[in-house]
Amino acid sequence: MSDPATSQYVSLKDLTLAYDKTVAVDRLNLDIHKGELIALLGPSGCGKTTTMRAIAGLLTPRSGSVHIDGRDVTRVPPSRREVGLVFQSYALFPHLSVFENVAFGLRLRREPDLKAKVMEGLQTVGLTEFLDRQPADLSGGQQQRVSLARSLVMHPKVLLLDEPLSNLDARLRLEMRTELQRVQRETGITMVFVTHDQAEALALADRIVLMRNGAIEQIGTAEEIYNAPVSGFAADFMGFETILPGEAGGGLAWRPGAVVLGKGPHQGQVRGASFAGERREYVLESPFGTIKADVPISETRFEIGQQVAFDLPRESAVELARID
Amino acid sequence: MFENRAIGLALVLPAAIFAAALFLLPVGILLSEAFRTDTGWSVSAYGEFFASSRNQTVFFRTLKLASLVAGVSAVVGYAAAFAIVNLPASSRGRMFGLVTLPLMISPVARTYAWLVILGRTGFVNKFLVDLGITDTPLRILFTETAVFIGLLQLFLPLMIISLVSAMENMPRDAVPAARILGANWLQVFWRVILPLTREGLVIGGTLVFTGSMTAYITPAILGGSKVLMLETLLYQRVTVANDFVSASVIAMILITMSFSANLLLKRLATARKSR
Ligand SMILES: Nc1ncnc2c1ncn2[C@@H]1O[C@H](COP(=O)(O)OP(=O)(O)O)[C@@H](O)[C@H]1O
Ligand SMILES: [Mg+2]
Repeated sequence: MSDPATSQYVSLKDLTLAYDKTVAVDRLNLDIHKGELIALLGPSGCGKTTTMRAIAGLLTPRSGSVHIDGRDVTRVPPSRREVGLVFQSYALFPHLSVFENVAFGLRLRREPDLKAKVMEGLQTVGLTEFLDRQPADLSGGQQQRVSLARSLVMHPKVLLLDEPLSNLDARLRLEMRTELQRVQRETGITMVFVTHDQAEALALADRIVLMRNGAIEQIGTAEEIYNAPVSGFAADFMGFETILPGEAGGGLAWRPGAVVLGKGPHQGQVRGASFAGERREYVLESPFGTIKADVPISETRFEIGQQVAFDLPRESAVELARID
Repeated sequence: MFENRAIGLALVLPAAIFAAALFLLPVGILLSEAFRTDTGWSVSAYGEFFASSRNQTVFFRTLKLASLVAGVSAVVGYAAAFAIVNLPASSRGRMFGLVTLPLMISPVARTYAWLVILGRTGFVNKFLVDLGITDTPLRILFTETAVFIGLLQLFLPLMIISLVSAMENMPRDAVPAARILGANWLQVFWRVILPLTREGLVIGGTLVFTGSMTAYITPAILGGSKVLMLETLLYQRVTVANDFVSASVIAMILITMSFSANLLLKRLATARKSR
């Protein structure tokens, strides 16, 4: 991966993006490898969509540059970037049939074998029977697939997907997840997808880019970020519920499962308790602040209002470089 | 909506009676004027009207100017509407207000302003003379150009309003999606914006065309008796010649043209859509 042709297939250099007065992304640097599936993860409003729009050329950077496949495309219009974008709203053309939606870009390119290529695209997403339908007559999941096919048939250098799963119901979301993985494996296409759902990023991505307030907080594989978050923010995003200051500005973080209840040096009062299948989740009020813990359902049960001893074992904590 | 249809009917009845008694009936009487002759019913009044070459000139001038104003306002309107829709929310409202402001100013005042601007000593002529583009001031007032300018300014806002609301109803990302799929701006317009804003164009086009055809104050002041339009001719026939038959013929022509324009535009819109 040291060859820049593949390790910097898409490269964002000191990218600053702004709307009118708000700076949405501030001096962002990111290299995306050829053929990887990368997730932009972060809370709503942190600049994920804005970053995508800049890669696609829909937004001119205030400063910095965008490179794709070795070429500086900062000033290249979206129509000539060879980038695909599946919008969060799908953005299908409501006046065109499914077939014509998928054929839209191919027609502009005057590609031969149009029909075969459109059908191949629809096949990839499993929608061949729907070619004569209007977008309004499709379910959300089907519209999403059309949008995906419309981008895939263009064989873009990078495929960007903005929250591709967030508008789908839970069952469909799992189905689309495997679908995206399969498409990526089969086509070997470089994919960037945006999500605010930590579990989704962990399940799908080769690497995760965790964003915060228009900047990158941490980049790494799912395991790296999950097991070694660098900051309180990253830890919070990765499901560490109890975060306490440590030495020299650093911190310690515990997942709910790492907190020991019923014995230990500290005392807390149970504020909330809820059943979660195999485990029971508790919220404690303690001198350290609010502590979230979950314990196997087989262990002793505590009632709301009860004083409980607890421990935050040092050995099951994760060390954070920064607490904020 | 109402549990009882009778309530709904009762609510529209006063308005319906009002419209029928005070609008449809007089219009019917006026229009029938042209078909009544001493010996019975006939359409000969129409033949006589069009036999006059002055009337023909006025008819075709009206048709030409109204079409031209509608056409030019469509072109300018699309550009303006697209720009407005893409402004940040804060300035969008302000710009929209600015565009619609002329609608709140009396057409008489607005048209008189054109007299000042376009007159022999107005600032268009002063500008042209000062720059040496022309030695003697041009005659702009009382020409078709003056009427065209006045009508365009009068009705362009209606086109912009129709197109802005049509564009606001387009799916938000349709244009960027087309751009990313390789469309240049011209292709984006023909393949995405136009088909998705046809209804707005039909409404705007009908309003502007009909409005230009039936405007009275603007052609009267900027065109005078040199550039008669159907509406100014109608007024002249009634007040100067007490010729109610011609007036009735003109009224009928105006109504027919308005409806035809609307039908034609609608036809154009659906024809392209079902392709
Ligand atoms: N069209 C816009 N005009 C002005 N500000 C915007 C616009 N779009 C997004 N922003 C602002 O830019 C920031 C980043 O937004 P966005 O990239 O959409 O975030 P995300 O996709 O991560 O939720 C937010 O503060 C948002 O309010
Ligand atoms: Mg977003």
